[in-house]
Amino acid sequence: MAAEAPLSESHTKQNLARPLLVALAGWAVPGLGHLLLRRWGRALGFFLATGGLAITGYAMRGEVFSPHSSDPFGALGFVADLGSGIFYFVAHILETAGPDISRAAGDYGTRLIAASGIVNLLGVIDAYGIARGRRG
Amino acid sequence: MPIVAARLSHLVAMAIFALLVSVAFACVGRHTTATRIKYALVSFLLFLAIGVGIAWLMYPLSR
Repeated sequence: MAAEAPLSESHTKQNLARPLLVALAGWAVPGLGHLLLRRWGRALGFFLATGGLAITGYAMRGEVFSPHSSDPFGALGFVADLGSGIFYFVAHILETAGPDISRAAGDYGTRLIAASGIVNLLGVIDAYGIARGRRG
Repeated sequence: MPIVAARLSHLVAMAIFALLVSVAFACVGRHTTATRIKYALVSFLLFLAIGVGIAWLMYPLSR
């Protein structure tokens, strides 16, 4: 059995560039990473799940955390919310009435928005793994 | 595109959450369409059953 030739640095960088691009695309627009990999079903699934959770959360007037939160839970909430990519950046368009966490529905909406980001991050990890050839 | 504030009951909100998260789990966990649908359905029903079960367990505390 012949020994494998060591990979050149440019080849390694090229091998890493595509998975990172796929991960970035998947974060920015939920499902886009899988779309680039021609995984149509997963792309649709992640787009619907992330978008559905975010839009339902906004409709329930959940809170969207800003990057300038004063407490650690707010910072964690920001990281979770940011995970939904474009749905985070259009939150002010979708949630014109603003958050109302004085009602239970608003509090649940906050959780749905955070779950949306976490679900999309799961999709990003999945797309990255597929692009690296670690997942089917 | 302003969205009208939804007046969802807690059960409906939980069902929407359960359905969408189950779809995401099925996308990650299974490879064929048939197994994904089955997995999502089982996961959705388990979410609902466990949610309602916990609610009944907590019911005496609310009285």
